[in-house]
Amino acid sequence: MTQRQALPLRTAVSTSAGLASAAINFLACVEIAEYAGGPSAWIALLVAGCLIVFSASNFAELSGLYPSAAAIRVWTRRGLNDSLSLRISLVYALTVTFAIAADAFVVAQAFHQAVPWCPGWIWIIVLLFVISWANLRGIRIAGRVQDVNALMLLVTLGIVGIVILWKGPLPPIYHFFHVGPGIFQSIALGIFIYVGFEWVTPLAEEFSDVRAIPRGMYIALGLIAIAFGLFTVALTTIFPTVGQLRSTLIPQLLAGQKALGPLGFWWMLFVTATTAMTTFNGGLFTASRFIYALAREKALPKTFAHLNDRWVPSYAIIGLACVSLVLALVIFQIGQYTVLINASAGVEGIIYALSALLIVRLRKKEPHRARPFRALGVPWITLIVGLLFLVLGLGALMTSVSIIPWPLIFVGTLVMLVSVYVYLAVPKIKAKAHIKSVRVAPEETIE
Amino acid sequence: MTMLPIFEDFVRACNENPRLRQMNRDWNRTIVIRTSDNGRCYWLQSENGLIQHGEGDRDNADMRIEGSDKVIREVFSGAISPTEPYNAGDLLVKGSQDDLVRLDIITLLIWGE
Repeated sequence: MTQRQALPLRTAVSTSAGLASAAINFLACVEIAEYAGGPSAWIALLVAGCLIVFSASNFAELSGLYPSAAAIRVWTRRGLNDSLSLRISLVYALTVTFAIAADAFVVAQAFHQAVPWCPGWIWIIVLLFVISWANLRGIRIAGRVQDVNALMLLVTLGIVGIVILWKGPLPPIYHFFHVGPGIFQSIALGIFIYVGFEWVTPLAEEFSDVRAIPRGMYIALGLIAIAFGLFTVALTTIFPTVGQLRSTLIPQLLAGQKALGPLGFWWMLFVTATTAMTTFNGGLFTASRFIYALAREKALPKTFAHLNDRWVPSYAIIGLACVSLVLALVIFQIGQYTVLINASAGVEGIIYALSALLIVRLRKKEPHRARPFRALGVPWITLIVGLLFLVLGLGALMTSVSIIPWPLIFVGTLVMLVSVYVYLAVPKIKAKAHIKSVRVAPEETIE
Repeated sequence: MTMLPIFEDFVRACNENPRLRQMNRDWNRTIVIRTSDNGRCYWLQSENGLIQHGEGDRDNADMRIEGSDKVIREVFSGAISPTEPYNAGDLLVKGSQDDLVRLDIITLLIWGE
């Protein structure tokens, strides 16, 4: 009863850490430090990390219960109902475009700094085009390259952070423990640093050892906390005042320069580019297959189930790339990248709260189903942490540089549009598909 | 009741489809299908574009599929697409995502939407 081609624990760690480590995290570190009030940002990251551990244990139980590439779609369908599940899954899938757009913004800023004569928006278009083209041709960044890239990023951040702190001068010790009035927002945004760690769960079917997923997630969370914690605290020593921190859009390049000189600058530029490329590639690949699957179950128009001559869901990829491009260009134009960070942190906070609810509901609904891993503290601690995530998620959505809570408006509009779609359009698509299924030629949807 | 006749029809449809033979010419895989309610196992083997089938378990399977007798029957007879029970958690798979998508494409090419 052996299974060939099983993935090792190493891949669980690198996938979890790699998907959480987007290039936009560099700017999120700035925002976390800004709200924490300086070097005490590590407290926000630590608290967020401790809460995330509970969430990771929820995802580990859900993943063991139903190991599936459709992950959240399956869990919410079993734990809630089909309609709610579809709404949640669509919003969750669309947050991938937030990450891609945000990373495109970061890369554009970094490349523009390195090559000033080329406008940033050109970099956005070129990078998204290259990755979309590669995805359409069925070219994937190999798992081993992703492993190396994730490790390279975390090691680089750790080294840069240590060198900067070693060189000093360090602020007075009490600054490291003095939290500012924005610590709640800082913790809420601290969640963003870990966002994506759970995207390893759709690979559950590819691991022969069921313990690889929980172990991989926990190890990855520890590595992320250490690497980004060091980097964030180091940033606060380069920019001792909040105003200075807020003004930079290339903190990682400045940190690299400060630690290792010009070599550090160019090395960080390289790391930024590879990190963003991995996010683009992984995001487009995973989300496009998810969109394809939804189209196959008649929840999205059949256009999205269209496959090109390389058996790639081409329209799903093009659609996602276009949405990401528009978002990235709008954000580049208005410069409000924090809207994407806060919106993603908000959506993920709510998803983490949902994971707690699903654990409790599925324990009641399907008590006898095998659970290779059991979540921590069910039911009370799970529910309390879930509630905390809900509050933090809403807090992140309410966090805005202006009085208008743009992240809340952005996500709220998205949820409303998705709900209207699920309520009005999905029944029509399903009915149409049912009638057509007896008439359509088998090869109509394939090029 | 054995499901061999269903797999026989499925395999015939695959092997008689020139596009599928072309698509699967470099997809050499062994798939084991197990029914969760009565524990019966069946296997499909794709080699050089042609698919064979049989009853029983196979070592070193690239992919393992598990579902109730009813779901397996419906999927491999074309009554439903594999994606529907898969997204509902009624069809469990152990294997790579690429192989899973390939299997879905095979059913799409045989039976359409």
